[in-house]
Formats: sequence, C-alpha cells, structure tokens
Amino acid sequence: MVSRRQFSLAASAAAVAALAPAARAQIYPTKPLRLVIPFPPGGATDILGRVLAQKLGDLLGQQVVVENRPGAGGAIGSELAAKAPPDGYTILLATVSTHSIGPALNPKTPYDVKRDFAPVIQMADATNVLVLSPTLPVNSLRELIAYARANPGKLNFSSSGNGTIVHMTGEMFKMATGTFVVHIPYKGTALAIPDLVSGQIAFMFDNISSALPHIKSGKVKALAISALKRSALLPDVPTMDEAGMKGFESNTYFGVFAPAGTPAAVVQRLNAEINKALQTQDFRERLAVHGAEPVGGTPEQFARVIERETVKYAAVIKRAGIKPE
Amino acid sequence: MDAFNILIANLGIGFGVAFTLQNLLYCFIGCLLGTLIGVLPGIGPIATIAMLLPATYALPPVAALIMLAGIYYGAQYGGSTTAILVNLPGESSSVVTMLDGYQMARKGRAGAALSVAALGSFIAGCFGTLILAAFAAPLAELAFKFGPAEYFSLMVLGLIGAVVLASGSLIKAIGMIILGLLLGLVGTDVNTGVSRFAFGIPELSDGIGFISVAMGVFGFAEIIANVDMKEARETFTNKVSGLLLSWADFKNTIGAIIRGTGIGSLLGILPGGGALLAAFAAYTIEKKLEKNPPIPYGQGNIRGVAGPEAANNAGAQTSFIPLLTLGIPPNAVMALMVGAMTIHNIQPGPQVMTSNPQLFWGMIASMWIGNLMLVILNLPLIGMWVQLLKVPYRILYPAILMFCCIGVFSVNNNSFDVLITVLFGVLGIVFLRFGCEAAPLLLGFILGPMMEENLRRAMLLSRGDPTVFLTRPLSATMLAMALAMVVIISLPAISKKRKETFVEE
Repeated sequence: MVSRRQFSLAASAAAVAALAPAARAQIYPTKPLRLVIPFPPGGATDILGRVLAQKLGDLLGQQVVVENRPGAGGAIGSELAAKAPPDGYTILLATVSTHSIGPALNPKTPYDVKRDFAPVIQMADATNVLVLSPTLPVNSLRELIAYARANPGKLNFSSSGNGTIVHMTGEMFKMATGTFVVHIPYKGTALAIPDLVSGQIAFMFDNISSALPHIKSGKVKALAISALKRSALLPDVPTMDEAGMKGFESNTYFGVFAPAGTPAAVVQRLNAEINKALQTQDFRERLAVHGAEPVGGTPEQFARVIERETVKYAAVIKRAGIKPE
Repeated sequence: MDAFNILIANLGIGFGVAFTLQNLLYCFIGCLLGTLIGVLPGIGPIATIAMLLPATYALPPVAALIMLAGIYYGAQYGGSTTAILVNLPGESSSVVTMLDGYQMARKGRAGAALSVAALGSFIAGCFGTLILAAFAAPLAELAFKFGPAEYFSLMVLGLIGAVVLASGSLIKAIGMIILGLLLGLVGTDVNTGVSRFAFGIPELSDGIGFISVAMGVFGFAEIIANVDMKEARETFTNKVSGLLLSWADFKNTIGAIIRGTGIGSLLGILPGGGALLAAFAAYTIEKKLEKNPPIPYGQGNIRGVAGPEAANNAGAQTSFIPLLTLGIPPNAVMALMVGAMTIHNIQPGPQVMTSNPQLFWGMIASMWIGNLMLVILNLPLIGMWVQLLKVPYRILYPAILMFCCIGVFSVNNNSFDVLITVLFGVLGIVFLRFGCEAAPLLLGFILGPMMEENLRRAMLLSRGDPTVFLTRPLSATMLAMALAMVVIISLPAISKKRKETFVEE
C-alpha cells in the first residue's frame, strides 16, 4: 500500500515537473527566484533553506537562488525581504526568532510582521530537547524539578543567548515549575556543552539535531523533548508533556514569507508547490535528519501559528522581565 | 602497542580512501584554491569556503570535506607568500609573518623567508596531522577542563603577552590594546541583550566585523600609504632567489619551528584559538626566548618567520580536533565545516570516528598528502605565484582593493561592512602616521569581548565571588604567569633594555 502511494506521488511529481515549464512559465515564475536566509551559511535555517531551494526550483521550473543576509539576529535579512518588490521573486525563510520572539522582545525591530509580510507556508517545526549534565543526581524530569526546588538559586541553565528560543524555553520551564534557576547565556549552545559536561551548568534546552551527537556519546543525558509528539531522532525520550509537564510545548517554526502585497495567486502557487515538496519522501527525510518535522498547510494556518507563538513568547518575556533596553 | 596497531590500521583505511584518483584530485583542487586565495590579499578561507559550500552538494561527502579542508590549510601556506613579498596579510593569520618576513625580503632574503615559511608549515602540518590522528579523542578532553574562569585567565595572559609583543613604545601598545578592547564593546551584550554603541544601526548590533577591522588597518591602510609614497616602498617579487635554506638558517630555525608547532597544536584545539592566536603566541615566545638576537625582531629575524608560520599551520590542522571529536567548531572556518558536514547528513561529533571511519581517516590522510602537495605548489612553483604579485602597482593595488571589497562583502553579503573597512583603512593611516602598531589593537579587539563574556559568565556561575579565579588551579596558574610577566617587564634593568631594543629603528 505504501509503495502504491509512493508510486502515485512520484508519478504526480513527475507530471507536474513535465507540465510546469510548458503550461505555467508564461505566468509565474519567468525568472529565477531569490530565497533570502537571514542567518549565516552552515546554520539550521541555511541548511533547511538550501534543501528547500533545490526542491522548489525543480517544482517551479526556475532556479531558486539562496542569498544569506545574516546579522542582528535575522533582522537584517528579514527587513531586506520586507522591502523587496512584492512580485514573488524574493521570498524569505524565517523562524520563530525573527517573526515571533524578536518583534516581541525588541520594539525597534525594523519591520512589522503583520504589516510587511505575507505568510506563505509553515515549512517545518524543530523541537528542543532538555539535556542534563551527567554530574547531576537526577534521572527524570520529575526528579529534576524536585532537585531544582530543593536547591533554589543553586543551579544554572545555559542558552545560546538572551532572547533566543532556547532561553525562552528555559524561562517557560522555570515559570511552569516555580523554580529559581540562574540563566547563563553563551554565544551558541555548542559553546555551553563543555560547561554542561563539567557540571557548572545543570541543564539546557538545545535543538535536537545539535544535541544529538552529545546525547549519543553519553556526554549529556536527554530528559525530555519540548514537542507534544516524540521525535524519530530520539524515539526513547519522552515528551515534556508525557514526563509530567502537561501541555508544555516550545518549538522553532521555519516558515516561508513573501513581502506584503505579493499577488494572492503567487502566494497560492508557492504554497501549493512547497506543500507538494513536503509530501515527497526524500524531502521529508532530509528535514528529519536535521530534527525538523515537515508541517505544511495553508497561509492562513501559518498566520495563526505566528500569532499564537508571538502571544506565547510575549507573555514569557513580560513575566521573566527580559528587556533589551 | 595495541593502540598503535589500531592507529596504523586506521591510517591504512584513511590512505586507502585518500589515494583514490577522485579524492587526490579534490585534495589538489582544494590546496590549489587555498594557495590562490591565500596569496591574494583580502580573500580568506572563510569567504571562499562559504562561497564554495553550495558547490559541494554534488560531491560525495569525503571529497567535499577533503577539498574544503585543503582550502583552509592551503590558505595558511599561500598567505605567507604575500606577507613576505608585499607586506600584506594574504590571509589573516599571516599578519604575524609580515612583521619579520617582509623585513627579510627588504634585506634581500626573500628566498630564505619563503622557504623557512614553507618548511615550517610542512613540518607543523605533518606533525599537526599526526596529533590529530593519534590524540584526537584524548586531547579533546583537555578542552573540557577549561571553564569560563580558565578562559578568562588565559586571555589575561594573552593580553599581557601582547604588550610584551609590541615593538616600540609601551604606552602606545597599551593604548592600542585598550582601543581594541573599546572597539570590541560595540554590539549586543551577551548577558542582557542590550545593544551597545550601535547607534540604532542594525549592522552594528553584531559588533564590528573582525574581517573589516583586520582588512582595514592592515590591507587598506598599507595600500593607501603606499600610493602616498609614490612607489617608494618596494615589493620583492623580482628578488626571489636562494630558495635553498642554508644549514646555518636551518639550525637557527629548527627550534623555533618545533616550538611553534607545539604552541600551534595546543592553541588550535582550544575554542576561539586557531591559527591567528597561535601565530601571535609563537612570535611572543620566540621574542622572549632569544635573548640577544643578531637581528632584532621586527627587522627581519628569521625565527620570527619560522615560529609563527609553523604555529599557524599546526593550529589550522589541530582545530579540526574539537570539530571531529566533539562537534564543537573552535572558529569560524570550522563552523562552516559543520555546515558542510550537515549538508551531507553527517552529524559532526564523537560518533563520526565510529560511524564514518572512511570519512574521518580519509580526511586525516588527505591532510598529510595535501601538505606534501602544498610544499610542491609553494616552493618550486613559487615563481608562478609571484607572477600574480608582479603585476604593476597601478593594476595590482586597485585589484587588491577590489578583492578585499569582494571578500569583505561576501562574508555577510552586506555593503555596510565594506564602508566599515574603508573607515578602518583611514584609521589605519592615522595609526601609521603616529607610529602606532595595529597588531595589539587587533588582539585587544578579538580578546576583549571573549574576556568580558567569560569574566561575567564566571562571576555569574560563582554568584559574584571573584576568588573563583584563584581557587581553580588552572586559572590561578595562568594568572600567576601573567603577574610574573608584568613584574619582569617592569624591572628597571629589563625595561631599560627593552627600550634600547625597540626604540631605535
């Protein structure tokens, strides 16, 4: 049954590929597209973006050129895309940090998510995993919470910087459990690993794909993941929800945006092609390696996710008293 | 002996992989490209690897990584050629090679400088590769001993060393370091997320780019100053002869090469270290060790070329250790290698050695082959690279400026960085006019933010107790060494001698 489905998918993809240049080239796209990645080469967004660019290029019958515009936590590239001509030839791959946390954190963000962007599709969701120092006498989420309560102000948790999703998730954990753990920011979660291994840091939420090698080698312990569904990368690790924190969820969405004013037909076309890409096996596999779950859906569904996440993190920022100025 | 046998077996796998025709070819392409971009001022391995990353999709992972690694260590070789012959850092870590290499060329010893640089690089490269092969796993444990307190103390030691390193006025050196520290303050504070001295410019919220500062104060300033001098300053592209190193030179430098290799191998492993810091450290040590140099440092001492060249190559080689064993990139180039590996579905980390032994050992074996290729590329074929630099100034200078601009632009694809570079070029001219050295500025600029970050992190972890720096043994040792350096340099006898050595040209 599976093979039949795969066969029909492959067949329809082939049909689309054959039809696309002939039937649609006259309308859109007639020239290569530019996919702005507001982060440097080599990062998660860049890697997912390049996977997308290749697949989308095949489906549209036009090359999709990746352009890295890093800086200011993704604000520079996002602003660039917001101000690009709304003709469908500039699109942006952005994340929860540029389009939900960033604007909530920094009132001077040079773009307005609702005013300046047309959401196209939520491409994927990446989850975080709660990793624990092996020096801590704790083996489950419940034990960690009990231990943190018994030692208020003595434990530290690390993050990849102030206002990052990893920091937000840690603050959400503190609020939900009523514990007092000191936040120690680093310039990236990888840089915090040595201090986590040596025990100066008690725990950290880290992106599942970057934490995976350290978990597999036994340098750190994986306690739970912050999605509501278990991850194929760590099938034995429970979700926070299962491990005793009902409803706890903190993911990084990766989504495609066009500048506001892009014709609805173009947005629909992009949405349809990316949805198609998300159905193909090789694309799903390449996302999965990087700990990203394919999502898909309509632009409206994506807009609701952005809204929900923005509200959620704005509340965390307010309650934790995180202020950039 | 068992471990030894396993190592030999592993290297056997590695050479089996590396000696396939395809992998030899990509190794060669990498080394060739690396030498080329190393020779051309302004384009560094970061920009090149970033630009070539997309092109490696089509290659098998081993070939892709072999090629990208070749670019990195190839650039360390090529950079020294430009540093010696034109007094421009072909690659950022050859800044130190310029100090004495160019002066040697001025004195007609360009050939000796080039060959000692190549020899030092080769010995260090081979040794670094061997270290990588034999000690990858145990050495990575060393990095785990370093917490924030240790890093802070190491950097204090580094900065004190930089004061000693600076030739000329002590006051000016301290001034330049402090200026570097201040420039390093620009950007977002890691602890609070507050934007400092960014003046509402989003590009400044990540701080001033290291490449902009280095390219500005070294590259641009040098070129502008040369234009001003109406070809008064020569480049020594015609006078490359005597490539065979004399026995006396060899005996004189072999110690420096060995020390440089040792320092480079060690510093390459530490996060944030890598080739540049290794070169600086090796230079400081050579300068400290040779009590009465026949030729003062900064005026063409051959050991001032040998040590840093060995160190930057060894550092380039061993900076793969934290990447391949822990998955932690110790510098920007390694961060790009992480990207290259993940593109090919390989998670960098300890499991690479067991799950992809072909890749791990193939890459290591290719490094040794690559080092051999580089000696051939760089010594007998030096004439070819020199041709690149022989172009008349009126063409060479604009071309260098253009390459610099492309290089700066390509890091962030942002023209703002080019403007900043020009600004630092102008600043560099001012420094030159006042006789202020730019090297301490650069070091202060790199170490300042790292120092602040680790100081505050250590204080956060100790809940505000400053004695943490003294109660952790590694940290205390390094602080004691720093204190000893301050005491030594302020002893009346030494400070007088220092003045004599440095003040007069």
